[in-house]
Formats: sequence, C-alpha cells, structure tokens
Amino acid sequence: MFSRKGIRGNEQPAGWLFVAPAVLILGLFMLLPILMALWVSLTRWNGQGSPFTGDVPFAGLDNYTRLFTDEGLARQDFMTSIRNNAYYVFFVVPIQTVLALGLALIVNNRLLKGKGFFRTAFYFPSVTSSVAISVVFLFMFANGGAINAILAVFGIEGPQWFSDPRGLLHIVLSKFGVSSPSPLVDHGVFGLSWWDWLSGPSVAMCAIISLVVWTTSGTFMVMFLAALQNVPVQLEEAGRIDGANRWQLLRHVILPQLRPTTFLVVTLGLIGTWQVFDQIYVMSQGNPAKTTLTPAFLSYRTAFRDFDYGSGAAISFVLFLIIVLLTLLQRRITRERDS
Amino acid sequence: MRSKLCGATLAAVLIATSACGSGFDDNGSGTSQSSSGPADLKIMIASSGDAETKAVRDATAQWATSSGNKAEVIPAQDIVQQLGQALAGSTPPDVFYVDAARFADYASVGALEPYAQDMQGVDAFLPNLRQSFTYEGKVYCVPKDTSTLALQINTDLWTKAGLTDADIPTTWDQLRSTSEKIKAKGITPLAIGDTRDRIGAFLVQAGGYWVSADGKQATGDTPPNVEALTYVQSLLKDGLAKYPKALDAGWAGEAFGKGKAAMAIEGNWIKGALSADFPTIKYTVKELPAGPKGKGTLSFTQCWGVAAKSKFKQQAVAFVQAMTTADQQLSFSKSFGVMPSRQDAQATYQQQNPDDAAFVAGAQYAQGPVNAPKMDSVLADLDAGLQGLQNGRPATVLQRFDKNAKTALGG
Amino acid sequence: MIRTLASRFLGYAILIFFALVFLYPFVIQIANSFKTEANAADNPLSPIPSPFVTDSLVRIFEGTGFPTWLGNSVLVTVVVTIGRVAFASMAGYALSRLRFPGRRALFAGLLALMAVPPVVLLIPKFLVLNQLGMYNSYAGLIVPLLADATGIFVMKQFFDSVPVSVEEAARIDGAGSFRIFWSVVLPMAKPALITLTILSFTGSWNEFPHTLVSVQDPGLFTLPRGLADLVSGSLGAGTQYPLKLGAALLATIPVAIIFVIFQRYFVRDASAGADKG
Repeated sequence: MFSRKGIRGNEQPAGWLFVAPAVLILGLFMLLPILMALWVSLTRWNGQGSPFTGDVPFAGLDNYTRLFTDEGLARQDFMTSIRNNAYYVFFVVPIQTVLALGLALIVNNRLLKGKGFFRTAFYFPSVTSSVAISVVFLFMFANGGAINAILAVFGIEGPQWFSDPRGLLHIVLSKFGVSSPSPLVDHGVFGLSWWDWLSGPSVAMCAIISLVVWTTSGTFMVMFLAALQNVPVQLEEAGRIDGANRWQLLRHVILPQLRPTTFLVVTLGLIGTWQVFDQIYVMSQGNPAKTTLTPAFLSYRTAFRDFDYGSGAAISFVLFLIIVLLTLLQRRITRERDS
Repeated sequence: MRSKLCGATLAAVLIATSACGSGFDDNGSGTSQSSSGPADLKIMIASSGDAETKAVRDATAQWATSSGNKAEVIPAQDIVQQLGQALAGSTPPDVFYVDAARFADYASVGALEPYAQDMQGVDAFLPNLRQSFTYEGKVYCVPKDTSTLALQINTDLWTKAGLTDADIPTTWDQLRSTSEKIKAKGITPLAIGDTRDRIGAFLVQAGGYWVSADGKQATGDTPPNVEALTYVQSLLKDGLAKYPKALDAGWAGEAFGKGKAAMAIEGNWIKGALSADFPTIKYTVKELPAGPKGKGTLSFTQCWGVAAKSKFKQQAVAFVQAMTTADQQLSFSKSFGVMPSRQDAQATYQQQNPDDAAFVAGAQYAQGPVNAPKMDSVLADLDAGLQGLQNGRPATVLQRFDKNAKTALGG
Repeated sequence: MIRTLASRFLGYAILIFFALVFLYPFVIQIANSFKTEANAADNPLSPIPSPFVTDSLVRIFEGTGFPTWLGNSVLVTVVVTIGRVAFASMAGYALSRLRFPGRRALFAGLLALMAVPPVVLLIPKFLVLNQLGMYNSYAGLIVPLLADATGIFVMKQFFDSVPVSVEEAARIDGAGSFRIFWSVVLPMAKPALITLTILSFTGSWNEFPHTLVSVQDPGLFTLPRGLADLVSGSLGAGTQYPLKLGAALLATIPVAIIFVIFQRYFVRDASAGADKG
C-alpha cells in the first residue's frame, strides 16, 4: 500500500493537465453558452450590441409565459410547432422501431446468406450527411419526382408533397364528409382550436417523416442485431422442442429477450425526434403553412430572422426541458436493466 | 468539498475569459468614427439572379478603382438571416440592401445610419419610395430602384390555346373566362406566388389592403379583402391558378419560364431571370386585370442601407451616391430590368424600354409594402395562411392577420 | 422442406425489396447528377442518364463556391478529428485512471453534458462566439467542435475495461504519467482510437447546425452549409436538380469510402450504443 501511494502521488497535476483541454472547450462552448442563453432568455435583447450590458431591457419570465399563457402569435407558433413535432414523433418512433426490429429479425435468419451485404445496405443511409440526403429526398418528393412516378405506376395520383399543408387526419375525415366541424373549430386550448390540434401531420411532414425513418432505421437495426446475437440459442431450441411455431417463438421467446433493447431504441428515438432541425431547414423551412415548423427550427427562426433572441432562447430551453426529461427516463430504464 | 472548490474555480475562469471577450462592440453609437482614407467596403446584396450580381460587381469595381478604395460585393443567399447574425455580431457589412418590408425593423433597432436625411439630391428620388424608407420622420436611406407587378403572358402557349390579343384579360371576369379556355387545352393558366406580395395585388384591385393607408391599423377582415381572397381561392380551387410549388418551381417566374403556365404575375425582375435562364421564351407583359374597384398592383423597393456601425460611413455614402446616379440606375435597369427610383431617370427609362409600359403604368397606382417594425412574423403567418388558402376560409385568414397585427402594431 | 424453401424465398424477397428502398435513392442521386435538367425532370426514376452529361459537375466547380466549401470541410474535419481524438483519449484516460481531486465531479458533469441536445445550443453558441470575438472565423468554426462529451465517455469506458497491470509495471519502472500514456496506453487503445477517429470524422464532415451559427461569410462555408444554401437558395436560383444532387453526391463520397473500409467499426459503434445506452 505504501509503495502504491508513493507511485500514485504525482498524479494530480497530470490528471488536471490531461483533462484541461477538454474541460476548457466543453466549459467554454457548452456550459458557458447555456448560462449566457439563460440570461438572454430573460431579456428583450434585439441583436444590437452586447446582451450583457445594463441597456438591455430585462423581461423576467415574459418570454416563457408568452409561449404558454399569453394570447398571441408567439404562443400560436410555439403550440403549432409542438403539435407538428408531436405528430412527427408519434409516427417516426413506432415505424422506425418496428422496421428496425423486422429487418434485424430477417437479416439474423440463419438460413439466409448475404447478411453482411444487407446489413451494410440498411445501415449506410444513417452515416451520410443529413443535408446531402435531404437534397436527394427533396428531388424524389418533387411533384414530378420519383415517388409520384412510382405512385403513378399503381394508378395513384401523388400529392404535391411540399406544398400541401393539409393534415393527414383532416384529409381522411374529409373523405367522410367531415370538414371544419364548428364545435371543434370554435373551441380550443393554448391558442389552437381542437380542430387544428387534430390535423395529423401534413402531407409535407409525411415526406420528412419517411426520410427520417429511412435514415435512422439502419442504426437501430444494428442495435437489434447485436441484441439478437445475445439471445441464447438454447432458449430458442427449447421453445422449438416444445412445439412452438415461429410466431409463438418470436412472441414468447425472442421478443421478451429483446425488451431492454426495444426500450432503449424507443427512448433514443424519442430523444432524437424532438431535435429534428437539419431536414426542416433544408427541405421546408417550416412551410407549407407552418405545418413542418418544429420547436428547434422555430427557436432558430425567432432569434435569427425576427431578431427576437429572448423568445428564441426561451423556446430552446423549453425544448431542452422536454429532451432532458426523456433522457432521464432513458437513463433510468437503462439503469434498471443493468441492475 | 474539494471538487466543489474546483468547480467554482472553473466557473470563475470561464467568466473571466468571457469578460475579456472583445466580440461585442459595447455600445451602438459613437464607437465607430468615419475614418477617411482608403476604405475596404463590404457590400451585401440580395441578388435577384446572376445578372444583378454581375452588374453590381462591375459597377462596384469601377467605383473602387476610380475612388481608390477597396470594395467587395457579397451576394447573400438569405440576407435576413445573414444580416441578422452580422448585426448581432457587430460585424455588419458597410452597405447592404434593405427591403422596404424589413426597413422599419432595422431602423427601429438602430442598425441603420440615417445618411439620406442630409444627403444632397435626396429630393430627386420618387416621393412614395422615399416615404417607404422614412422612420419617425427621418429618411434613412435612398431607394435603389423600384418594380411593380404585372401580368406576363406566354405568347406561344397563348396561340396554342387558340387565343388572340383580344383574349388578354383586363378584368377579373375575363381572367377567369380566359383561364377556363386555357385550362380546357390542358395548360395551367396562371402561376402566382403564394405570398402576400402577389396575392395582395388582388386586394388592391378590390379596393382593400392588409393595412390602412397610414400603415398603423390592420384592415384585414373587410368586405373588399374577403371578396379578393374568395376570388383567388376560386381560381385555385378550379385549377385556374397554381402556386409555384405545385408546378415544381421555386417561384412563378421559373414555372412560367419552363412553360408550365401560360400566365404569371411577377415584377420587373422576371425579365432578367427569363433572359438568363430561359432565353427562348416568347412573352408579353400586360397590366394586371382590374378588379371591382379598378386597377391595382403592388410596388417593391429596396434601399442602399449603410450600417450605423460601419467604419467607413463617409465612403459608404459616396459609394451609394455613385450607385444611384441617373446613368448608373439606367445601366442597372438594362442589366436586370428594374425601374429607376429617380424622377429624372424616368423619361429616359420609358423611352428605352417600350416593352415595360405595363410596369411603368403600374407605378402610377401601385400600393407599397407594409412598413412597420415587428410585423415580419405577423406577415409570415399571413403567408402561411395564404399557402393554405385553397382549403381554408378567407375570412379566417384575414381575422387571424388582424388579431396578430393589432398586437404588433399596438405594442 | 417446401415450407423452409418458401420462407427462405420470402425472406430474400423482403430483404431485396428493402435493399432497393435503402439503396435506390443513391442510384437516383448518382444517375440524375449526370442528366440534363430536362431529362431529370422527365425521368427522375431512370437509373440511366440519357444523354449522359457532366455539365452539372462542371457547373459545381465553376459556378458555385464548391471548391471553397470542400477546402473548408477538409480543413475542419482534419483539425477537429485530430483534436477530438487527442483530447478525448487524454481526458478519458485521466477520468478512468488518474486520481485527482474533482474527478468524480467532472465525470458527473460530463454525463450531464452528454444529455444536452445539440439543437438547443444554436443560440447559446452564437452568443458565446460573439462574446469571444470568434464569430465568423475559422476559430469559431473549429474550436467549439474540438472536444465532445460522447468521445470522452467512449474512451473512459474503454480504459475502464483494460486491465491496469501493464501500466503498473511501467509505473514501477519509474515512468511518468505522460510516458505511460504515450508509449503504453495509446498503443493498447488502438481499436478505440480508430472508432473515435471514425466517429469524429463523420461527425465533423456532416456537421451542419454549428456552421449555421458560427459563420456567415460564404468563404468560410463547409460543404453541408454550402449545400444547404444552394438548396434553399434565393429567388432565381432555379431548381437545377442535377447540380444539387451532384454536389450532394460529392459531399457523400468521402464518408461512403470511410464507411466501406471501416464498416466493422461503425457496426461496433452502433452496438456499443446499445450496450452503453
């Protein structure tokens, strides 16, 4: 023990030196900015001069209350963005999880060859640049583009993807003759009518949803594959001996084994989907009719286009809160799993 | 205990570092003197296309050589965002385009130098354009040029649809009946931008507008406006008019240039864009069809803004003066089709551009843009409403605008 | 037997269908980069350009800022990758092995920072870059990216899994912490370093939001930023899909090459994600 302490005695300066560059950079460009933005979110800084002088009007919590309690455009936009993002999450997370799981199960099938190739094919989209891939999808979803050409083969006239602001649910309901029922239109909560809340994702948002499902499914498939590798073969064989068919095997043997990974994929999906920004910036900028506006993009736009940095920062922090809560949930689940 | 201490030390270091920062110019006024001698001007423009970029670059280079200064033209892809960040970063370009619709925002936060107030010869500019760049009684900057909306007609498609000059619509009813004939031949009749800057023309033709004449009141939900939007909506619903995105185009001029629509409603800038990108297209330009309350169109203008924080204000103003001489304006007109903003250049312009009669005529009765600070997000929200006009209710769109505008204008 | 054959056939059918779904967009991208604009508009689905033209590639290099963006992207990626690998392995090692006051607090802070979503940092980063006078400069573009919490975490986890005996031996021989790190620890950490390098490379090559708030001079744009501006371009830019797709294609190629060569590290990374959570 004595000698050990002697050897280790000089670690303190080395330890600090080793972490110093990383600590300095993370502190300066993550910790400090968050504190600065917290301050700005309490002011009415308009982007002229420094926000850290006495001249900047202090707004208290106004920028936050405007998002929730004050009647006006700020709340309307924010709630619209929350609605859009909620629908986006509601579609992306289940679809990508199921798709990733399904692909993993098939790729993992021992009877099939070419596992490596298919795994690569499914995984590749997720390593490419989100901006570059958005360009490709913008082209595919053009009105005279590839997607509509495929739909035309089946005799379907494709929608005008990025100019159609109608919500999916509204479209479906209008098929049954329901459009703008006045009890729903005349009442609402948080500045949007019930009818607006119930729009469903717009056609334009659907294009973005399909892009995101397409890029992220591969990553989650690889996670499922890794987990499948760890399912004990004996379990499967035991099930088979018991006379279970393939479906029963999947339901009662394999899926329970994959439960932790599924939870993880779902929570990672929840965290990631609330951060959608790049695709919105490149493909739609919140259009048409604000149906692809998300909190992340709204905060950017409010600050850098409307010069309302306080409101923009406030939106960021609300979004931050949503994501932190989801992250805590994920960490808790992971910890439960580990213990 | 010790770790807490370390954390505190770290925080102290960070704050100290940030306090030493020199990025922000701590006070807006008075810190930047106009220095004389050779300047290094940065000029940010929101170009309507390659033609404009080149023309401004050439003129700038000429001025730089003859005046012994350096000057660089930066064409912005998204001038609002780029300028916004530059202003917040206290590193704005010395000279930049300011759109009349955003002018009040910049002026109200003190980003603009009100150089035009004392500039010699400011009276030579058209009075209604000068008015667009006046904030709280001060003229801030001089208009670069002006343009109005008119109706472009693709003559080949026109003939193909079996139409003659007699079919050129001069009223709303004619616009509808002619469009129906064009549609019957399987051609999209009209491409129109999905924003207030295009659809607003119909409001003027119906005798209304988004805001009152003094720009202080929202007047959205009024019978003329409802009538105008209902008319536009009927065109959209019947497939007689389409938004550019529905035609796979970025703007109506592109759809028109590609021959995807027989008519378009765009401004003077369409000439330059068409001759650059679609040189073979044959078209004529007519005044917009009159509505129930007569003719109406919209006018647009941008000014040469000089940054309040520019280090070279004196040279920047000299540069603006050089860019706005009658000769220079006429030369810009030739390159990218805008109309001069000076009164003394109008006669020559009309002589040189007989084809532009419709644009010039429009200037007589054109309505200028909404000019008030803090309106941008309200107007963006209006645009969102207009994008959904086909399936929405005109009155709802207008009421929503009124509600939002009242907050912005009142506060 | 027939059932097995049938299910095998079905399995392949599904796999091939999805392989098409996942790969055909890239085929479309490549093909349309070499089409004329009219051809691309008329036959967006066709994998064969007719006629085959390289106009758009020529325009990418001569008519846009592409060469500048490419240069900036290379510079940023190289510097950031080196920085991240160096700083993350140093910090990860220290957090895993060296005893110094504040270590626990630092690690807790690190975990907290990992939970900070990058998109909420847009306005904050802009503010701090402005305050430090780094806005719109190479420093602003590069320095904030030099360290990332996840990289440090990955390295710490790696060092935690390596037995200490080798280092102990070196230590008894009287080697100092730096010597040990440089000549004993780093060579051992090769697989983790490769993973980290790849992560940093793709991360910084594809980085978009940071460039949006750290620079605004077109001379400082990286590929994603330039590309985004090209697409959401101003009035009159036209749709010009062959050009945009071509530029996007060129921006994808380096990552594609790295991916193909180091595939197993990518896969390991994703699986590691499953383990670490």
